[in-house]
Amino acid sequence: MKLRGIGVGSMMYGLGYGFARPDFSTTDIELAPDGTVTIWNGASELGQGLQTLLCQLVAEELGIPYEDTFIITADTGRTPDAGPVSASRSTYVQGNSALKACRDLKKPMAELAGELLKTDPDQLIFKKGLVQDQNEPSRSISFTNLAGGMHQRGRRVRGSGYHSITTGDVDKETSQGDAYATYAWASQLAEVEVDTETGQVTVLRLASATDAGKAINPKMVEGQIEGGAVQGLGFALMEDMKIEQGEFKNAKLSTYLIPTAADVPMVEPLIVEVYDPTGPYGAKGVAEPATIPTAPTIFNAIANALGQRVRFTPATPEKMLKLLGKLEEKEEQITIEDMPYPEP
Amino acid sequence: MTILNETLQEEELKIQTPSISRKDEYESVGKSVLRKDSVPKVTGKAIYTGDLHMPGMLFGKVLLSTQAHALIKSIDVSAAAAVPGVKAVLTSRDIPGENAFGIAIPDQQVLAETKVRYIGEPVAIVAAEDIFAAEQAISQIQVEYEPLPAVFSPFDALKPGAPAVHAKGNILYHTKVRKGNIERGFDEAAIIVENIYRTSGQDHAPIEPEAGFAWIDAEGVLNVFSGTQYAFRDRRQIAIALNLPMNRVRVANMTMGGGFGRKDDVTAEILVALLAWKTGRPVRLVYSRHEAMMSQTHRHPTYTRVRTGANKEGKLTAMEGVIYGDTGAYASLGLFVIKKMALHLGGPYYYPNYKSDSFSVYTNNPIFGAFRGFGVLQAAVSHEGQIDELAEKLGMDPIEFRLRNCLRPGLSFSTGQLMTNACGIATTLERLQDYLVENGLSIELHPEVSA
Repeated sequence: MKLRGIGVGSMMYGLGYGFARPDFSTTDIELAPDGTVTIWNGASELGQGLQTLLCQLVAEELGIPYEDTFIITADTGRTPDAGPVSASRSTYVQGNSALKACRDLKKPMAELAGELLKTDPDQLIFKKGLVQDQNEPSRSISFTNLAGGMHQRGRRVRGSGYHSITTGDVDKETSQGDAYATYAWASQLAEVEVDTETGQVTVLRLASATDAGKAINPKMVEGQIEGGAVQGLGFALMEDMKIEQGEFKNAKLSTYLIPTAADVPMVEPLIVEVYDPTGPYGAKGVAEPATIPTAPTIFNAIANALGQRVRFTPATPEKMLKLLGKLEEKEEQITIEDMPYPEP
Repeated sequence: MTILNETLQEEELKIQTPSISRKDEYESVGKSVLRKDSVPKVTGKAIYTGDLHMPGMLFGKVLLSTQAHALIKSIDVSAAAAVPGVKAVLTSRDIPGENAFGIAIPDQQVLAETKVRYIGEPVAIVAAEDIFAAEQAISQIQVEYEPLPAVFSPFDALKPGAPAVHAKGNILYHTKVRKGNIERGFDEAAIIVENIYRTSGQDHAPIEPEAGFAWIDAEGVLNVFSGTQYAFRDRRQIAIALNLPMNRVRVANMTMGGGFGRKDDVTAEILVALLAWKTGRPVRLVYSRHEAMMSQTHRHPTYTRVRTGANKEGKLTAMEGVIYGDTGAYASLGLFVIKKMALHLGGPYYYPNYKSDSFSVYTNNPIFGAFRGFGVLQAAVSHEGQIDELAEKLGMDPIEFRLRNCLRPGLSFSTGQLMTNACGIATTLERLQDYLVENGLSIELHPEVSA
């Protein structure tokens, strides 16, 4: 018999490291005489899109085309230290440091523009390739011309931005305190079909409502959501790391099964934007939030279909048949007696 | 007490509601521009660590431990060193600096010295003119082990008299979270659900297995190229192991095929640096998929017992939990993963009373470290099971029940930290409600819900 069910699952995630661990980034940027910009940041491009994101932020902040930005990342011989790429922090921490580098560069640029345009540097805005007096739009100079002028006059053409979200530690005995700089949020919904004869669980659809604060690059956010869903699905249903007497017995991709295209359901990325005033343009990270709720969402859909709950991973067909009482459970199970709550 | 909390909650809601970002007039932000790395990747021009080549380059290979817990009585490398084309066979004796590294605490050995603690721990390394010679040399290294009693679960590791994985004992870290009054919280509950949840290990399976490339440049700087999540920490750890000033080591990240947390740790970097330093030649070390899976970190397996109470109005009153996380043979980030899990065990909901304990425990299993989700993913399996079951038993719609209890600006997290306006959980749940309507779906409670 094939039974269908729908379930939901949610999560929150403290962004960055917390616990007084160093959590900072430095970005350097340099203006060339033709108005193009080079960015140096010590964080790694893993395939998540960090380079693109930092270039978009810099382009926006300087009011120049994205194509006019070039970035060099993660090289101790060239880039400043930007901290690790982990804890879904890159958009939030490295992004903010890039904005600060732009603001640092804009100071000498606004000074020269103010001299040339005979106006107050504080009233100048950088937008659409122009540096313009916001009260008197006729007073403007192109970003490119200003860049050339900066070099001709020997002005400072480098900017540097440092940003830190290093927190204090929580109390040792109670863990009370401000643990993280900000939090990320996500909820997912899954529809599944369970074959009660074979134990096979098929995910038919997975909708993922993930709060990006502000999606700097919506396609990349969708990529994180889709990849996160697939990795979460693998954790929920397939990836069975068999460790016997300390040995990882199936340490090959022929026996340790991860999802392939054939296992991936329709994933619907639903980008939610709850503006975070502490993030760059309101943005925060989505990498981990996109994968955290997937397994319990699928398990809640299974419970909705069967009336029986999965409280283990992975829910392989074999383990589902044990849950349904169609196969004998031979493994010794951990019980409540094995896990007393520690004293207050 | 409950009524007081509710009143407080309503009051706070009036003052603060999340602000949705305005319709913007941005030029680059919010646009799905072409990624900087797309074209080189799809045209095959991107250079990964394993693609690097230099004249005179040697091929590196690692010998991994076959024992979960054993003393190393002797290592005989003479036959390996005699294999034609072999330029170096190195063991812990050949490390110029400290034979210690680790993200959080340096409890890991670059090459095992007197004892191995897991199957897959690096014991010796080889550099040779070609990969076949390197492989042959690895097979010729004779390691004499004296097996020790071992522990393979956190429960066994915590038994009195259990074999000690490390001298200081098997508990790496114990986290305590205490908020409110847990007994009063459960007294106020009309319904309590209690369960045990088990999550398994998981391999990161990045498409690119770990790799490193090292050479010494004309200025004598040791250059290390790899796929890494943190070049600067790698530089520090290489310099310490090789006894070099940190500014004489350069680490650069190549195009990378994913990391997912595993490449936050040092992977091939110190080993390949050591081979280049000892031979004076460029060296490339690329792990096979099997070697990577055996030797690198994985997601922590966890065991969680948790009970959660709600009153008859469907408001959460208390949560109590205890977590045992298997961190394997070395710490990696295991203390922080399992600490974060204790803080997030309740999920995105408001609990006036909250108590959790988590234990990160050493075993002789492979190392468990950082992996996308970082303990919060394991916590979600528990809290979403609990919340869903409570909703079901109260006969409430699962989304409505979550909305009734989710954190809002001004309400506090398990650590007492107050949520700001950037608290988006309700908005994500409301988006799912819209999605159901848009797709003509609804969640019907199952008729045979387990009681």
